[in-house]
Amino acid sequence: MNRRLRNALKGLTALEDDRRRRAMEPFVRATFDIFIRYLYRYLGNEVECEDVLEDVYADIWENPQRLSHVTSERELLRTVYMYYMRKRLREVYRRMNRHVHLPQIDLENLTAPDLGILETMSQTELEQVLHRALGRLKARERRGIELWMQGMSSRAIANELRTTVPAVKMLKYRTILKLKEMLNEYCGKV
Amino acid sequence: MTERDRTIQELLSDYAGALRDGGVPVFLKSLSRQEGQAIADSGEFWGATEVVRILNGAGFANKAVTADVGLFMSRVDANIASRLKKSTTPSKPRRTCGRKSVTKPQRTEETI
Repeated sequence: MNRRLRNALKGLTALEDDRRRRAMEPFVRATFDIFIRYLYRYLGNEVECEDVLEDVYADIWENPQRLSHVTSERELLRTVYMYYMRKRLREVYRRMNRHVHLPQIDLENLTAPDLGILETMSQTELEQVLHRALGRLKARERRGIELWMQGMSSRAIANELRTTVPAVKMLKYRTILKLKEMLNEYCGKV
Repeated sequence: MTERDRTIQELLSDYAGALRDGGVPVFLKSLSRQEGQAIADSGEFWGATEVVRILNGAGFANKAVTADVGLFMSRVDANIASRLKKSTTPSKPRRTCGRKSVTKPQRTEETI
């Protein structure tokens, strides 16, 4: 963990509310990028990410005890997700459960799941592993995923690859499963 | 409502698209009862969602990073201030909507 983050975390353990409040600024500045990128995985919407993160930081200010023994960035992310973010993420979708044909537990697992090994990896590490995994895919599979990551719809990808929409969806599904296998393989090695 | 139930491949593709575009609620609402059941029963779907989230983070998370953290910080500070205010303000006694109960005068038997 870098010095800036370590110092920011120290201030959060103060007992007085005001001192903790003052310590929030360096903490927010040191962690905002990490946390918002992480939240984006689950929400895919920058406005909602900021709303959720605002409450997460206020929760941390109110009950910072969980962070008192954190020693690494990975551990910090894991702790913040498990004890602060997950609760807030679930609240985003809680009101929806009346209109959704999905059991409550599955809705929670879809929107704010337990952490897998992949999800605890740092952003840089993940990007490196993904890059390597994408390089091992067949050209058509890689092209499909790359186009999707550029923001193209299934129909646009189908036009680009000269195929049908269902074929693109099938290709995406198979490629994602293949990527999962490759990433798991990597995690097994680590 | 869709005309036919989507296969698990189509559901994963639609979920990935919804997550990428920030439209998960629309995806959730579009699920039919059978599709919900298919998702609940499919192990592969749950395994694949983890990769979809990671791809989403790797590909698009940069969009969420704002240049002005100071502005965001002021929102956090306002949130903390309101919580502080709530914790220091003594809570008002709850008002009841109904009429106040009036203590009835105690009836005593009159002596004849």
